[in-house]
Amino acid sequence: MSLLELCAVVFIYNAMTFGNGPGMVPLLQADLVDRRGVLSTDQLLYAFTIARVTPGQANTYVAAIGYMLHGLAGALATTAAIQLPGYLMLPLLWGYQRLGAVRLVPAFTRGLTVASVGLIFAATVSIGRSTLTGWVSVVVFAAALAMAQLLKWNPLVVLAVSALLGTGAWVLGWA
Amino acid sequence: MPADGDGQAADGDGRPPDDQPATGPDRPPQPINRRALFGIFFKAGLAFGGGLGILAVLEQELVTRRRAVDREEFLRLYGLGRIVPSGTMTALAVAYGYRFAGLPGTVISLAALVLPALVLTVALTAVYGLLHRQAWLPQLLPVTILPAALAFIVVAGVRLGREVFRPSRELLLAAAAFAGAAVLHLSPVLLLLAGGVAGTVLFRPKEDQA
Repeated sequence: MSLLELCAVVFIYNAMTFGNGPGMVPLLQADLVDRRGVLSTDQLLYAFTIARVTPGQANTYVAAIGYMLHGLAGALATTAAIQLPGYLMLPLLWGYQRLGAVRLVPAFTRGLTVASVGLIFAATVSIGRSTLTGWVSVVVFAAALAMAQLLKWNPLVVLAVSALLGTGAWVLGWA
Repeated sequence: MPADGDGQAADGDGRPPDDQPATGPDRPPQPINRRALFGIFFKAGLAFGGGLGILAVLEQELVTRRRAVDREEFLRLYGLGRIVPSGTMTALAVAYGYRFAGLPGTVISLAALVLPALVLTVALTAVYGLLHRQAWLPQLLPVTILPAALAFIVVAGVRLGREVFRPSRELLLAAAAFAGAAVLHLSPVLLLLAGGVAGTVLFRPKEDQA
């Protein structure tokens, strides 16, 4: 897959999704992992995790995918590609007073975001099937979910505790 | 950073909403040059907590501390940014970059915003590349980072769909998209566009439905 193709794919998927990041996961999984086979599910998950533990915007994980496939040039080019839709803000600002004609835009956006929530959970099921293979990984997943969703712990702490749990189980020979 | 920063921030938050921040009695608004623009967005790019973490820094710097933007306009731009695809914060960087320094300003604010995340992301991905060939990594990843990553995706989905998870038309649409992907294996691109079209019917403004 050429760098230009990768940038085009990232640009289109990013421009189609709202909510900065997670919405792209099902699209990238279907395209880069399932269809083209240039990325493994493990790589996609690793990239997404990086975005959760680094500061800044969550969609920067495409830079990790860019780096995995095309090195530093890939990281820079994909990062630039996901900034471009932001420039839609300029015509929006200029035409703010005359927005009457595009009143349907928020409704369209809402429908898209809601559908994207459904897709994220569908992707979670399919990724979970291939990733949560042993009981240790299921336990670590449940623990991480409880720490992040219920206890609202910092992602870095969640990741550290998950890594400790899993490594402990691995050292003991359970995994 | 000026020493008065924290004090101003604290009393700025306590002001009544009808105060006129841009023409405050004691302090004129501070003009934002290119250097300040870079500094503000670099600081925002270092914030944890995704979009809302960044938004908090922008509010603090642009509204409370420098009074370069009044609260109402700040909220209006945020609302506009939310209907721009991709990141809302990307849209805000373009808007403020353009406002304070024209088109070159958009490049400055965007570069400053992504720089911290980009550097760290590349560094952490390079570590993955280096360890990739170690025999123990493929055994360790499935019981450590990967299940945690899956949990992060679930949490992100829940957060994105906060308003979806109650009996509503939103829940039906999300469930339909889920079924289309998980059961029928339809293309996610197709499902997203169908969701948008369904949204224009289900969620259009009330006065239009009459």
